[in-house]
Amino acid sequence: MLLYAAIILMMLGLYGILTQRNIIKIIISLNILEIGLNIFIISIGFVNGGVAPIFTGQNNLGSIGFVDPLPQALVLTAIVIGVGTTALGLALAKKIYAKYGTFEIDDMKGAE
Amino acid sequence: MSAVLLIAIPILAAFISIIVKKWSPYMLLFVSFGLVILLGYLPFEIITIGGFSAPYGISLVVDNYSYTALYVVNVLFFLVAIINVCNYKKLGTILLVSLAGLNGLMLTGDLFNLFVFLEISGISAYIITTTNKKPLATFNYLVAGTVGSILYLLGLIILYNMFGTLNMQDMAVRIAASGATDIEVALPFLLMFIGIGVEAKLLPFNSWVKGILGHSNKLTGPMIAGVYAAASLFVFGRLLTEVFVISDTFMLIISVILAFSILAGEAMAYSSTKVREILLFSSIAQAGIAVLIFVSGFTGYAVLFISLNGFSKVVLFLIINHATEVVGSDEVIDLKGLFVNNKLVGASFTATVLSLLGLPLFAGFFVKMGILSQLFSSGDYVFPAIILLSSVVEGVYFVKLLTKLWYKEDNLPQVKFELPLVYLVVVISLLLVVFGLYFEPLHEQALVLVNHVKGVIL
Repeated sequence: MLLYAAIILMMLGLYGILTQRNIIKIIISLNILEIGLNIFIISIGFVNGGVAPIFTGQNNLGSIGFVDPLPQALVLTAIVIGVGTTALGLALAKKIYAKYGTFEIDDMKGAE
Repeated sequence: MSAVLLIAIPILAAFISIIVKKWSPYMLLFVSFGLVILLGYLPFEIITIGGFSAPYGISLVVDNYSYTALYVVNVLFFLVAIINVCNYKKLGTILLVSLAGLNGLMLTGDLFNLFVFLEISGISAYIITTTNKKPLATFNYLVAGTVGSILYLLGLIILYNMFGTLNMQDMAVRIAASGATDIEVALPFLLMFIGIGVEAKLLPFNSWVKGILGHSNKLTGPMIAGVYAAASLFVFGRLLTEVFVISDTFMLIISVILAFSILAGEAMAYSSTKVREILLFSSIAQAGIAVLIFVSGFTGYAVLFISLNGFSKVVLFLIINHATEVVGSDEVIDLKGLFVNNKLVGASFTATVLSLLGLPLFAGFFVKMGILSQLFSSGDYVFPAIILLSSVVEGVYFVKLLTKLWYKEDNLPQVKFELPLVYLVVVISLLLVVFGLYFEPLHEQALVLVNHVKGVIL
């Protein structure tokens, strides 16, 4: 179920990037795409009825399944990178606004 | 010396250069020159980070392939840095970060680690291209690059779910052992191919190139078209030769993309009237040819091709972008007669272009000849036809460009080239001529690389 939600989010993000003509909306679509991907990665490591992958006296008996910890570590890295990209995109959006006075790509005069 | 230092030293220097801003340009020069020297003392080994053995931890691979790639990228980076360091003092920190990212791309043996370095070098590339003063073009580059790396990550995660590993060599072994059908692995491979294809400028994914390189300056032109192009193509080679299983379906898709990329790139370069656009469209076609050679399995020649292409593009973009900055336009008509007063620079430009075309007496000839004879002897006639056709078109527009640039008339553009730039382009073009006459070392290197790759696969 989580998998389908993730794929729907990714498709929404991709649709937004392809159709929107507003800088801020494109950045938001990019974020939706990233979040969809992150949920997708998390869902890969999901185990039904699993517990957090931490060794304690209670749950290292072997009878309880751990969820896969690696996708969670990957997502942590991917989130950080996503934040960096978003910050850079917003900084560029500010520069674009200072230069053209608008966020709409179609209204920008002299831009190629 | 450990290969970890190739990544650690530039990152450390970048942090220090934030604290002491004035030092950053000198630090950049010192570090990039130091790394070129240190590369000479790099032993061939596989380094495991943090003491976790290969499939579990991240491994850095130093072999013949990555060693050659590191040398090419670091030398090119140093050359571009030394020409530009005075004009772009603020960018010292970013260039150090990008050097770390590029070295990481060459070294890493882990697919997710590759994604991280792809993003590090990508984000620094976006910041470097802001010096073009075209924020909208940079924004397009950012969106294209980010979507590309997201697709790469998606493909990577699907592969992880199927085979349970992220290590490149382990992945190749497990794919072979699992007996997965071609169709099953074609989707993740295609997603990863698209992801790297964005950075490598293959045709359907390269809408950003015109905005970036069409308005490039003396830093961004050589950096993106030379250093970054070489690095992303080396990454492509690593994935295509060591990880991907190229099945018939996947091969068909790739062949169409590459043929389209090469022919359309050459056609657009032919129809263009701006010098920078001619160069950038030609580099799209060259990227297509490089990937095509990798797909055909001639790694040694592909590496030589990428290296020569990287050096040539640095020379061409440096000369043209300097002239464009002085004249204020990059139309061929405005630059007419550029080399009449700058004969030395003109001679270097001409030699580099002729080497790029693959004429005899230049280094490019040996490489192109080798590729074509290998392809013919393997019984393939479509790829050689594409390469030959592209060479003919390339020849027509480059010779047209050269005659315009050498054309003598009254109203000559007044362009003076600085001494370091002249020195650099003359030395590189001389080397292209020298290696064109004396190509034994190149030949040996190509054979070494071919044997190396065979050793890994068997």
